[in-house]
Amino acid sequence: MPESRLRRTLRSLLPPRVRDDMFDPAAHDLDADYARGEQRRRTVGLVLLFLDCWRLAPAEVLSMFLNDLRHAFRLLYRDPGFTLAAVLTLTLGVGGNVTVFAIVNAVLLRPLPYPNAEELVIIEHRDRRTGITKGFIAAGDYVDLHTRQEAFESIAGYGTLRTIVYGEDEPEDAAALMASAELLSILRMTPLEGRAIAPGDTRAGAAPVVVLGHAFWQTRLGGDPAIVGRSLNIVGPNGSAVMRQVVGIASPLFRFPARSNTDLILPLPLPAEAPAVRKSGWTFAAARLKPGVTIEAGSTQLAAISRQMEQEHPTQNEGSEYYAVPLRDATVGETKAALLLMLGAVGLVLLIACVNVANLLAARSLGRRQEMSVRAALGAGRRQIAMQLIAESVALAMVAGAAAILFASWATPALTRLMSESLDAAALGAVTIDRTVLVFAAAVTLFVIVAFSLFSALGIRRDTFAGTALSPTRVTTGRAVRRATSTLVAAEIALAIVLLAGAGLVLRSFSNLLSVDPGFNPQNVLTLEIIAPADRYRDVSARAALQGRMFEAIRSIRSVTEAGSAAVTPLTGNNWTASFERADRPVPAGQRPPDVGWQAATGGYFRALEIPLRSGRYFSAQDGPSAPPVVIVSETIERQFFPGESAVGRRVRIGDGEAAEIVGVVGDIRRAALTDAPRADMYFPQEHAPSIGTTLFIRTSGGPTAIVPELRAALRQLDPAIVMRRIETMDDVTRESMQLTRVTLWLLGMFAVSALALAAIGIYGVMSYTVRGRMREIGTRMALGATPGGIVRLVLADGVRIACIGTVIGLAGSFAAGRALRSLLFGTSPTDPWVLLAATGVLLLTAVVACYVPARRAGRLDPVKTLAGW
Amino acid sequence: MRSQRLPRLTHLQFLVLGLLRSGETAGRVVREGLAAHGVKRTAPAFYQLMARLERDGLVDGWYEQITVRDQAVTERRYKLRPQGMKLWTEARDFYAGVAAQGAAARWSDA
Repeated sequence: MPESRLRRTLRSLLPPRVRDDMFDPAAHDLDADYARGEQRRRTVGLVLLFLDCWRLAPAEVLSMFLNDLRHAFRLLYRDPGFTLAAVLTLTLGVGGNVTVFAIVNAVLLRPLPYPNAEELVIIEHRDRRTGITKGFIAAGDYVDLHTRQEAFESIAGYGTLRTIVYGEDEPEDAAALMASAELLSILRMTPLEGRAIAPGDTRAGAAPVVVLGHAFWQTRLGGDPAIVGRSLNIVGPNGSAVMRQVVGIASPLFRFPARSNTDLILPLPLPAEAPAVRKSGWTFAAARLKPGVTIEAGSTQLAAISRQMEQEHPTQNEGSEYYAVPLRDATVGETKAALLLMLGAVGLVLLIACVNVANLLAARSLGRRQEMSVRAALGAGRRQIAMQLIAESVALAMVAGAAAILFASWATPALTRLMSESLDAAALGAVTIDRTVLVFAAAVTLFVIVAFSLFSALGIRRDTFAGTALSPTRVTTGRAVRRATSTLVAAEIALAIVLLAGAGLVLRSFSNLLSVDPGFNPQNVLTLEIIAPADRYRDVSARAALQGRMFEAIRSIRSVTEAGSAAVTPLTGNNWTASFERADRPVPAGQRPPDVGWQAATGGYFRALEIPLRSGRYFSAQDGPSAPPVVIVSETIERQFFPGESAVGRRVRIGDGEAAEIVGVVGDIRRAALTDAPRADMYFPQEHAPSIGTTLFIRTSGGPTAIVPELRAALRQLDPAIVMRRIETMDDVTRESMQLTRVTLWLLGMFAVSALALAAIGIYGVMSYTVRGRMREIGTRMALGATPGGIVRLVLADGVRIACIGTVIGLAGSFAAGRALRSLLFGTSPTDPWVLLAATGVLLLTAVVACYVPARRAGRLDPVKTLAGW
Repeated sequence: MRSQRLPRLTHLQFLVLGLLRSGETAGRVVREGLAAHGVKRTAPAFYQLMARLERDGLVDGWYEQITVRDQAVTERRYKLRPQGMKLWTEARDFYAGVAAQGAAARWSDA
């Protein structure tokens, strides 16, 4: 390569300032050296020079960029209108993302508080015949799964229990974890003091022991280390209070499940051998995968063992299938989909905000073309001007990024409060703007910088370099710029349609949920859990007597119209089931009877919740402990299992050879959630088997919470040791069951309204910008006879055309985005035509309103003045 | 003696501006002058330093064509600007003042 060409090539590879300030004078010195007789090859000298320049380039480029950045900050300061609009828009976009990400980080990303938590799984049960899933497993199956599996380090049973610790003062409510010995081992819990639960503690007849939770030990027992070895009077799983020796104190912050508090850890007795009735008891089960084993491999093995058990015990295990779920998924549940949806939605808002600011930048660049031309005329190259524009983008994004973090630090607690009822409360307590969130904020800001830098760099017009310093009175808008901004607004409208349609679909789901008839009347019903001390009410007759006196006392309270009790509170996700088999038509040998929903209730429960009686009677005092067993069934059972006949008077098998008479048929209710289809339910009388722990349902003639003091006094009088908790109205229970949909609606609605406002501002800005760029054309048209109305229509048509293009693209996007929403929808499809039509209508109307102002301004232009400036 | 502010020039800048006090000079010559004071800089690093002095308004720089052994070559030449002279004088006075103070202190110790 000739030396002059090499020199040109090397020169062109350097940044402008390095080239001009360093390479050029040094290369001239090299020429002079050769003229004086330098012997070294000139090409070698040039290459060494080039390499040296590159060694120095980074510091030079950085100093250059810092200069540009200083200039950019000065420009932002001098143009407060633009700066305010751009920063506010970006703050909304970036801040919204950071806020939602802070929650996603706390709930979905932050490691669970167990070593190698990704190896931990929860084992769940699915009934293939009904599709009903349960988060727990049958005690009989647990034994076989535990001994036969090889994919897991161990399978450990556990349960949770609200218990009572009797001390010198009032009895204290406490949350207990019932743990098998393996559980604490797979969770890698090392006790702070003493020891953990040992295998011997879970055997039948073992001495009762307890491990204290760290927070419980600190706050309720004063952190006394001498407590280990002493005994506490604690109500156990059978309801009896026994003295338990404290054998250890859990490590600080240990809690399991992750979304609950663990005040106490009690041994969970599990059978060593599978009982004959395998599904007579249920337990939650956690497991840790062996190193190198995937969760899929673990689930495959569980499925294989499930099939073995199905073949060995067809009458009990037909359709029973076990599978593993990552602990995090089991903890977070359906909120994962909602959170990811929120992140997607707020991401769309950010895109819209970016598009809007890009439009603002375009409008601003129109006013700065003269400045750019002057800079180009003074020798600034395309790259230098691009660097300046990039520095301006960086300055803008830095201000917006800082404002966004401030916005997020205010919005995060607000959003946390809003979501606290539907999300993992324990995780939400720790929602903070931590390092991960700050890195995310930096990444989003960087995205904004790159987007604007590209837009700015592409926007440098060729005529900037034509050597003409334009007159501000001769501003025209290039077709390419107009097309670019119109495309941006169309994209913005498309994104807004996606959000509007999403919000519309969730709104429709919510309205569908509100209109769902749960099958009972939740208004004016108070619900609360009560626990009586088991040692005082050991036999059934004592419990029945307590139950009778309790309802008598409750009914004597003024404004109480009905009172009853049940084991399961509707709409709280409970899926307990029982086998259903007609006594007169037993299931063929070797087959498993179908499952139906299980509930234990008193007659007063049906009256209090106004569950209609279709035929027969409710439970009553005549169904007491000594009476023959009876059941009530829901009308779906009658329809399904007694087609064309009355179920009342028929008998069903309820255990080994025992049968119960159906005494009543009641209406179906939504058992687990409002979104569930009404299922077949079978009710067992609590009058027959009264429990010391139950949930009361009390209907009042006025506000239900008003009776709480009287109720408390009445129960105290009955027995001061009765503990009342979870006092709430059925209306609250119903509302909580819709909380996730409500929060999703709230947030999506907020994002959609923001998107709509931004789209309106965007289309307004572009039309104003277009009108400004077409002033000469409009002036000429008016001079040639166009009417103001015609000009308004012309401009409006332009705006509506852009809006229509955006709408069509947005509708296509909505079809795709709707699929992501599917799990949150109820009673509507992701392509609901009415919702899409409404979203389109709202957006087009907004677009027309936003276009009207610049259109009217165009219609009022004075052609003489406009053309005089030409 | 009234207290003086620290000079705004670095030692290297002080040296370069000092070399330019004698009048307009080729960059190559200034670089040789630095080397004579033990300051070795590659050509690009030296011209980076000079470009910064130019941007700060302390020196003027321009290209000039000269003839070396019958060959026309271009060289970068520099001259001190009034602002550069002012800062160099301030720095020189500062060091002179410090030196005088040090000498007075030595006498009083003796």
